[in-house]
Amino acid sequence: MLDLTFWASVIAGGLIAGGSSGLLSVYIVGMRIPFLGVCVAHAALAGAVFGALGGLAGPMLLVPALAGAMVTALALGLADPRKIHMDANVVMGLLFSVTMGLAFVGFGLFGVLGKSDNDVRSLLWGSLTYCRWSDVWLMLSAALALGLFVLLFGKEMRAILFSRTDAQAAGIRATGVWTGFLVLTAALMTVNFQTVGGLMIYSLITNPAAAAFQLTRGGRRVTILAVILGAISGGGGFILSAITDLPSGAVIVLFSSLLVFLAAVFRHVRHRG
Amino acid sequence: MNNVAVHLDDFSVRAGHREILSVDSLAVSRGEFVGLLGPNGAGKSTLLRCLLGMQPHARGGAHVLDRRVNRLPSGDLARLRRRVGFVPQILPARSEMPLTVREVVAIGRTGIAGLLLPLKSGDWRIVDEWLERLGLTSLARRGFSEISGGEQRKTLIARAMVQNPELLLLDEPTANLDLGWRERIVELVEELYRQTRITVILVCHELEVLPPCCSRVVVLDEGKIIADGGPGEILTAARIQSLYGPTLEVVHNAGRWAVVPGGTNHA
Repeated sequence: MLDLTFWASVIAGGLIAGGSSGLLSVYIVGMRIPFLGVCVAHAALAGAVFGALGGLAGPMLLVPALAGAMVTALALGLADPRKIHMDANVVMGLLFSVTMGLAFVGFGLFGVLGKSDNDVRSLLWGSLTYCRWSDVWLMLSAALALGLFVLLFGKEMRAILFSRTDAQAAGIRATGVWTGFLVLTAALMTVNFQTVGGLMIYSLITNPAAAAFQLTRGGRRVTILAVILGAISGGGGFILSAITDLPSGAVIVLFSSLLVFLAAVFRHVRHRG
Repeated sequence: MNNVAVHLDDFSVRAGHREILSVDSLAVSRGEFVGLLGPNGAGKSTLLRCLLGMQPHARGGAHVLDRRVNRLPSGDLARLRRRVGFVPQILPARSEMPLTVREVVAIGRTGIAGLLLPLKSGDWRIVDEWLERLGLTSLARRGFSEISGGEQRKTLIARAMVQNPELLLLDEPTANLDLGWRERIVELVEELYRQTRITVILVCHELEVLPPCCSRVVVLDEGKIIADGGPGEILTAARIQSLYGPTLEVVHNAGRWAVVPGGTNHA
C-alpha cells in the first residue's frame, strides 16, 4: 500500500506534470515540433551552466535555466518560417546545436576552473520520486499560467495550428501569440524538468495528444481529452511504478505510450466497424 | 474612401538579385472582377502576397483599400488583412490537429473578434450562415482532413467570406480539382460575386476557371503585365499561343473561355 501522507506530493506532481504536458502536447504535436522538448532542455542546461559558473547555486540555478530556455523560445517564435525560408524544425535543430555547444563549453570550464557541476546536472534530471510540495506549487503556477494563456488565446492558437501563414493572412497576430506560447512552454518545461526529469516530459509532450487525436476531433474536445490522458499517464503511471517497484519515469513513459497504442487500436476497430 | 480597391505604382519585388515582379501601374476599381492570368512562375501569387503585405523585399507603392500596404505598422496591417479575404493556392499541409470544418471556417472571424475575447454568438451565427450558403452544413462537424479536396476549397472560401471582406483574393482556387469540382467552384465564385459585388482578384493559369462575371483580364508573364483589358480583347488565340504553346486554340461560349488542343501545327 502507498503511504499517501508521504506520496501525496509525488502523485500531485505526476498529475500536474501529466495534465500540463498533455495540454502542451496538443500544440506541440499539432505543429509537428516534438523536438521542442529536447531543444528547450539544452537551452535551459546552457543557462544553468553559465549561471553556476557565475556563482549561482541550488534553487537559484532555476533562474538562468529559465532565462536560457525562454530566450531560445523567443528566438524560435520570432523566426517566421515564411520570412527566413527555414522550417521551424530546422531552426530548432540549429538552436539545439548552439545551446548544446554552449552547455558543453560551460561543462569544460567547470574542469578548468576546478568547480563542481553536480547542481547543474540535478537541475535538469530530477525524479518524480523526490517531488515535494514546494515543487508542486511551482509546477502548478506554471501550469495555471499556461492554462490561462490557452483560455485567452485559444482561438488564435487554433488558427495557428491550422496554418500560421493563413492565420497571418486573416489578420491574426500569429507571431506575437505563438512566441508568447513558446516562451510560456519553455518556462513550464524547465520547471518540470527539474522536478520530474526529461525522460517523462519528452514523452508527455507528445503521447497524450497523439492518443487524443486518434479518439476524437474538434479543438476543445481533443484539448480536454489530452489533458485528462496526460494526467492519467502521470498519476496512474506513478501508482503503477509504486505497485511494481519499477522506476517511475520509465513506467510513466511506457504507460503513456500504451495509451497511444490502445487509442490507435480503438480507432482502427471503430473505423472497420 | 476612393473608388480604387487596389493600386500598384512603380512596384517591384526582388528575390536576391532577380526581379520577380515589376508593375509600372495597376489599378482595380471597387466592385471589379479581375482575372489575373499567366503561366507558372509569372508572378501571380507573388502579386497577391504583396497585396496582403506578406511579401518581403517589395519596393514602390502598393495601396489596398486606401492603405499603403508595404509601409503599414504590423497592427494596422493586421487590421487591413481582416478586410481582405484570401483563399490560398496550396491547401495547408494535413494538420495533425483534427479541427472540424466549422472550426476552420471560424478562423475567418478570429482576427475580427480581437485578442483576449472568445468568438461571440454573432460570430458563430455568421459562420453557420456561410456554411449553409455554401452547402457545407452537413460537413460542419466532420474533420477538415476527412473531407474531399473540393470540399476543402469550399471550406476555405467560406473562411474568407465570414470576414465580410471588401476584397477577395483567390489564388488558383481550382488547383488539383477534378473537372466536376472545378465547375462547382467556378459557379460558386460567380454566384458569390453576383450576390456581394465585392472586388475580386482571381489568379489562375487556365482560362476555364474564369467565370462569366469576369470583366477584365490582366496577363502577367515573367513578372510583368503584358496585357490588360476585357476578356474578348485579351484572350486571343495569338496571345494564348505565345504564352502556352503554338498548337492551342481558344473557345468562347456562354461567357466562359476554354483552351483546346488545336491544329495550327497539324494543319
